[in-house]
Amino acid sequence: MPPELVERQGGSSTDDSAKALAGLDALDTPTVNRVPWWRRASSSVLPPVVALVLIVVIWQVVWASAVLPEFKLPAPMAVWDSFLTIVADGSIWSILWTSISRAFLGFAIALVIATPLGLLVAKVPVVRSAIGPLLSGLQSLPSVAWVPAAVLWFGLTDATIYFVVLLGSVPSIANGLVAGIDQIPPILPRVGRVLGARGLASARHVLLPAALPGYLAGCKQGWAFSWRSLMAAEIIAAGPALGIGLGAYLKNGSDFNDIAAVFSAVLLILVVGIGIELLVFRPLERRVLRARGLALS
Amino acid sequence: MTTSIESEIEHARRGRTAHTAVELSGVGKTFGTGTGAVTALRGIDLRVAHGEFLCLLGASGCGKSTLLNLLSGLEEPTTGTVSVNTARPSFMFQEAALMPWLTAARNVELPLQLAGQGRGARRERARELLELVRLDGVGDKRPHELSGGMRQRVSLARALAAATSTDGSAQGGAPGLLLMDEPFAALDAITRDVLQGELLRVWEATGTTVVFVTHDVREAVRLSQRVVLLSSRPGTVVREWSVDEHGPELHDEITGRLRQVITSHAA
Ligand SMILES: Nc1ncnc2c1ncn2[C@@H]1O[C@H](COP(=O)(O)OP(=O)(O)O)[C@@H](O)[C@H]1O
Ligand SMILES: [Mg+2]
Repeated sequence: MPPELVERQGGSSTDDSAKALAGLDALDTPTVNRVPWWRRASSSVLPPVVALVLIVVIWQVVWASAVLPEFKLPAPMAVWDSFLTIVADGSIWSILWTSISRAFLGFAIALVIATPLGLLVAKVPVVRSAIGPLLSGLQSLPSVAWVPAAVLWFGLTDATIYFVVLLGSVPSIANGLVAGIDQIPPILPRVGRVLGARGLASARHVLLPAALPGYLAGCKQGWAFSWRSLMAAEIIAAGPALGIGLGAYLKNGSDFNDIAAVFSAVLLILVVGIGIELLVFRPLERRVLRARGLALS
Repeated sequence: MTTSIESEIEHARRGRTAHTAVELSGVGKTFGTGTGAVTALRGIDLRVAHGEFLCLLGASGCGKSTLLNLLSGLEEPTTGTVSVNTARPSFMFQEAALMPWLTAARNVELPLQLAGQGRGARRERARELLELVRLDGVGDKRPHELSGGMRQRVSLARALAAATSTDGSAQGGAPGLLLMDEPFAALDAITRDVLQGELLRVWEATGTTVVFVTHDVREAVRLSQRVVLLSSRPGTVVREWSVDEHGPELHDEITGRLRQVITSHAA
């Protein structure tokens, strides 16, 4: 023990220092304002509900004023009845299952492809300069554009659907991961290296967790794109081998000039898209961001 | 015959290194080549004894951080040799640089985890170290829930964990090497003052060797046993002072010398 320290740090000064430290900690610790859950719920649930009610009321008024013919604008109640019909005959479950299972499977395959792809683009400069721009470009190409080609290649089969879904979602997810990795503060990998993280350990303990927020944002967008592409594919490529999903149900309504069925299909597509985002992605993102102190208001 | 000579040499080497934690001889570092080359360090000879607290003092851009990077193995010297005879050196930066997704305790555990220690031993060690930096009870908090000073102490605990993590047998703080790059520069004056005292206490309790970089003369004199003044561009050792052997005038003397070094760079 260095002798001069004993003089500098007498017993009482160590005590003082402990107290000073405790005081500083108490003063400096950031305070968190906890909003009660009911207030949070009412502020996040109430506005959209009011908006929804307003829209339905306006819809009803426009319909009642009869500026548009009945075959163009159905009454809200007619759409509701049309919806109840498929609930009553039970076909709604097979319709939802067909589309949602496809979207999930497609999204899962997209994750498996896009994750290593994103890692490669982010970490290997040659790969980045070779396919980075292509990947961003594909993101702005509407994946419906692939449907005609896919039909010619794969016929009216599930392969066509998955092909279109993948082209819609893979670029978003991969780009999200690339952005997530690019945004990692350079100090973190350095610290990782000083602490003994090399190669795979560095990817697992530093790189991937640090890139998680960007990756999740990419996944969220990837889900939206995969749902959108799926609907486009189902509407355009309808056939007996494909079964009846939400897209085909919409297409049928249109083919039979059944505007109420068309509306009910569009609303269902919207509800499923929003529902998955609210039930799956929003809570996930919240948890990840909150753990890092990146509040998501 | 040869074996006995070899063993003699080995013996002599051990005798010397037993006291030397860090030895730099003729170390130079140049970044880049050709006309754009920057010589950050030149001809540095430096020895740091085990358990010593050394301050590297110098103006901005004189190569202090570069020197620490050489010691930590983050960079290789262009000339000369760097030898470090301690457990793996660990680093503390101006920012706490905690992993924002891990709790305080898991941050301290990270180097132990990377060294392959089991979960139980890891937890126990992290608890000890947090207690050492007087942060018992905040192990479950995330970095963003802590103040700057607390974060820097978690970072210190993590560095201490790293310094003693190389093998599982290193128990209860086998002396390591702590490299600190202006760790308190971003803190307010009051917190800095308290943390300087804390660092001395921790150093005393753990027996680690510390190489502490600062551009604050007062901090250097308060903390260290020996102050080494570096010149700028290229960084060379100008002078060193043993703090114990000098009286209260040391602060002014070092400040005067630092000022000379800086003035010599005026165009
Ligand atoms: N990676 C690098 N590439 C080129 N020049 C560098 C690099 N790192 C440091 N330098 C140069 O080396 C000199 C010393 O830098 P540094 O060690 O950071 O100084 P200090 O920490 O004392 O402020 C500076 O002139 C800086 O510009
Ligand atoms: Mg520096």
